Amino acid sequence: MLTVALTGNPNTGKTSLFNMLTDSYEYVGNWAGVTIEKKVGTLKNKRGQLVDLPGIYSLSPLSRDEGVTTLYLLDESPSSLLNVVDASQLERNLHLTIQLLEYGRPVVVALNMIDVAEKRGLDIDVKKLSEQMGVPIMPVIARSGFGCDTLMQAAVKSSIDDESLVSPRHFDYGPVLEQAISTLEAKLPVSMASKRWLALQLLEGNIPVLQKLRQHVDPVWLQAFYVETEALVQKLPEGKKLPDYIRDKRAGIIDRWLQSAVRETKPLRTTLSERIDAIVLNKYLGIPIFLAFMYFTFKLTFDWIGTPVSDRLDALLNGVIRDGIASFLNTVGAASFLKAVILDGIVAGVGGVLVFVPQIFMLFLIISFIEDSGYMARIATVMDKLLEGVGLNGKAFIPMIIGFGCNVPGIMAARTIEQPKERLLTILLTPLMSCSARLSVYSLFVGTFFQSHQALIVLSLYVLGVVVALILAKLFSYTLAKEEESMFIVEMPPYRIPQWRTLSRSTWEKGKGFVRKAGTFIFGGSVVIWLMGYSGFHGWNVPMNESFLQAIGSVLSPVMEPLGFGNWQAGAALITGFLAKEVVVSTMGIIYAAPTEAGLEGAIAHFFTPLQAYSFMVFILLYVPCLATVGVIRNETKSAKWTWFSVGYALVIAYVISFIIYRGGLLLGFH
Amino acid sequence: MTLLETHWGSKVKVTNLESVQQLVRRRLGDLGVMEGSVISLRKAMPFGGPCTIEVKGQWIAIRRKDAGHIVVEALC
Repeated sequence: MLTVALTGNPNTGKTSLFNMLTDSYEYVGNWAGVTIEKKVGTLKNKRGQLVDLPGIYSLSPLSRDEGVTTLYLLDESPSSLLNVVDASQLERNLHLTIQLLEYGRPVVVALNMIDVAEKRGLDIDVKKLSEQMGVPIMPVIARSGFGCDTLMQAAVKSSIDDESLVSPRHFDYGPVLEQAISTLEAKLPVSMASKRWLALQLLEGNIPVLQKLRQHVDPVWLQAFYVETEALVQKLPEGKKLPDYIRDKRAGIIDRWLQSAVRETKPLRTTLSERIDAIVLNKYLGIPIFLAFMYFTFKLTFDWIGTPVSDRLDALLNGVIRDGIASFLNTVGAASFLKAVILDGIVAGVGGVLVFVPQIFMLFLIISFIEDSGYMARIATVMDKLLEGVGLNGKAFIPMIIGFGCNVPGIMAARTIEQPKERLLTILLTPLMSCSARLSVYSLFVGTFFQSHQALIVLSLYVLGVVVALILAKLFSYTLAKEEESMFIVEMPPYRIPQWRTLSRSTWEKGKGFVRKAGTFIFGGSVVIWLMGYSGFHGWNVPMNESFLQAIGSVLSPVMEPLGFGNWQAGAALITGFLAKEVVVSTMGIIYAAPTEAGLEGAIAHFFTPLQAYSFMVFILLYVPCLATVGVIRNETKSAKWTWFSVGYALVIAYVISFIIYRGGLLLGFH
Repeated sequence: MTLLETHWGSKVKVTNLESVQQLVRRRLGDLGVMEGSVISLRKAMPFGGPCTIEVKGQWIAIRRKDAGHIVVEALC
């Protein structure tokens, strides 16, 4: 089976190309670091597999996502490499290309975004460049699909043709380094592949390569060898550090390649991106624009589009559909138990959650817009100063924004953060970002208690999550992880007008998880919760107040009393809500036996005052990450201690803040 | 002089990156900012926040303190 590996600098369109060349669909965006793990798909022509890898600038990894790519190249042997190169940034992209050529597998270069390069006034003679570099180069536009078929054929062809006669490319690094390379090569086992490449990578300071070589060569000798070579290189007239020296040599090679093949046809003038940045990165307007954008998001989600559509869906679901199911069950003469499971369990539980699909899709649409337009990197920049103050950097805001959709991908996005401490903090704090599942709980409560200020109340919860995260970041960075210098550097991609196709696709990809969860997890959960409410110590079909559910919920209620929601119903909803936050809505729907949202809103109005409802929402926002999030925290931190910590601190902080809000609110005369 | 002492938008040549924090220097190199590169300072965020620099049509945001460590000279 052929395996073609996609490699290239961050944000050059590898995943867009992957989506074009395979039958699968993966997540794309316009910022560096969208892809953070290996993705495998089958080529459309069924000739082999395509592996999508996180973007890298060079093969020496700085961050966790880059490590994925380096380890892949070290441990696996792809049939060929498809190197995606941004035509408008050829020079810096080709540094990686050189390293890939040295690796020793056949390389095909996909020259992406040639349309952008042309607009920027770059005239690239592809044929000449290909001759210069000695590799096939295919111009493509991954976003539109231009050139993709030819590219696929070329990639497959190179994998088959050269299989037997593939040899690594040999670039000259000057006598001192060449001597060092041969010394190290001689030390390596004869059978080892790409020895020259390994030697060069080691000299560049590639840590995973160093670890691999230590298994074969005496570590003490390796260390001495490195120090000695470094000293020799520094004595050269250039006087450069070893990695810089290697980079300079490569820059020289690239210069020669480009000299004859690339012409700048017109002088650079102000681009559209610059004009947009003049506004959104304006000294005074930058932060207000971002806040206005967020407010606009909530207005769209709640007042303007999301909620009105949601209400209509609710009427449909609980009117026509529910009646339809009921009359169908009556016609077939279903047992009353079965009728109760379906109508009071499944329809109430699953329907209660599905009603919020419009709001959630609206939110995902806006997040997709941020990702695809190029605004993401700007937000990181605008937020950096604030985050630096609490021991993080602007890049940490990217996982947090993704976390507004769902915490799970948000936490994974923290992989692109270079400093381990900042990454850990981001992982621990991203769960405080209010995800779309929690949105369903707010929607229910604000619809009942805060009719006239829905968007504002929900925005206050989102802001609370962010503020708590910032304060805790400050606290944690003082106590947990210290003595590590913070850093921030981010590349700003040119703005792009998002294509509808990409936007709708990526909104759907994010939202479908929510719908699927409703059909599986929430479905099953609803049945179980309904059963627990239907049965009790005295047998089946007991009143809700004597059920197992009541017994479980009551355990919590005395503890929750000081927060204003000491009823067993809230307790039961909180326990089940650990599975997934939207289960809170399902549970309440089942408990209050109120299948329609209007009915449920009416029912909870009896059990909560507005202040208690707000306190409850705050608790839901903060109390524990859901089951899936805890799982991903465990995976990403590889530490049981930090996982428990993330659950523990959240519980404490939720309790304290809800307490302050409720008690403080009472003192101020709210109720 | 350092990059921060240059005029907004004026093109200057990088002469020394030695005192820039190591990881930032690596990333700058990855993005095409090396000794000898021609760059310009473009924008700054308020409250001493990051600034953006331009190198060959590529825009990068870095912290102001790092920009203050980039030694440059005027293009002649």
